[in-house]
Amino acid sequence: MYVWIWRHLPGNAWVKALVSVVLVLAVVYVLFQYVFPWAEPLLPFNDVTVDDSLPTPATEWR
Amino acid sequence: MAGTEELTDGAPRRRGRTRSRIAATVGVVGEVLITAGVLLALFVVYSLWWTNVIADREAKRQGAHVRENWARKGPGALDTKDGVGFLHVPAMGKGEVLVKPGTGSSVLNEGVAGYYRKPVKATLPWEGPGNLTLAAHRDGHGAKFHNIHKIKDGDPVVFETRDTWYVYTVYKELKETSRYNVKVLDPVPRESGKTVPGRYLTLTTCTPIYTSDYRYVVWAELTRTEKVDEKRTPPKELRG
Repeated sequence: MYVWIWRHLPGNAWVKALVSVVLVLAVVYVLFQYVFPWAEPLLPFNDVTVDDSLPTPATEWR
Repeated sequence: MAGTEELTDGAPRRRGRTRSRIAATVGVVGEVLITAGVLLALFVVYSLWWTNVIADREAKRQGAHVRENWARKGPGALDTKDGVGFLHVPAMGKGEVLVKPGTGSSVLNEGVAGYYRKPVKATLPWEGPGNLTLAAHRDGHGAKFHNIHKIKDGDPVVFETRDTWYVYTVYKELKETSRYNVKVLDPVPRESGKTVPGRYLTLTTCTPIYTSDYRYVVWAELTRTEKVDEKRTPPKELRG
C-alpha cells in the first residue's frame, strides 16, 4: 500500500519525501479536525454527567 | 536467473509467484495493522492533549470576556449572560473554572464546568436553599475536574459570582457510583447524609481516570458568603 503510493508520487526521492510529509500532515489535520471530533462522542471514554436516560452521548444540546 | 529457470522448467517460477503473492498479502495486512496502531495512538494524543489545548484556549477567552464585563460594570447586580461565575477549588490546583448553564458536551467541551439543567435542575446559590450541581471533564477538553480525587473533607470550594464569594466546605466524597445515580443531584442529597434543606454544592465527573464507567461525586455545604469588594480581593480560603 505505502510502497504503491511511494511509486506513484512524482519526482525524485527528495520530492517524494516532501510530498509524503505534506500528505501525512494533511491526514493528521483531517483526523484531528473532523474524524476524531465525530468519533469521540460515540466512544464511552468521556461521559461525565449522571443521567437516567439511555447511555447516549450529548444528552443536552444548546 | 529467473529467465534460465523458465527456459528449463516453468514450475519454480510459478512457485516463486505464489510465494511473492503471499508475501504481498502479509505485507498489506502488516501495513493495515501498523496504520490502525498509528490511528489509535493519534486518537490518544487527540483526546488527552489536543482537546485540552482547544478547550483551555476557549475557556480562557470566555473567562476573560466575563471578567471584562464584570470589570466594566463593577461589582453589582448578577450577570449571567456569558457565564454565571467561576469555581475555585484549591485542592484541585490553582486556577479557576468558568461555570456555564447546561451539561451537554457542546458546553463542557469548552473547558468549563456546567450546572445541571436536567435530569435535576441545579439551584443557583442566590436562589435560596438547594443544590448547585456541576459537571466537568476528568480528562481531555480542559480536564477541569481531573484532580477531583484530591479533594478531602473540610476543603474549601469557592464559587465566585459578580458580587459574591460563596464559600463551601466539602463534607462527603462518593468515590464511585453508577452513571444512572441521578439522586446525587437532589436538592437535599440524602446519599451524602443530609436530611434537611440547605445550600449544597455537588461536583460530578467520571471515574476511573481515562474512562467513564462510573461517576465520582463530591458534596460541599455553604459555610459563608462574602461580598466582592472593589479590588475583588479573594476570600482567605483562596489566599493561602
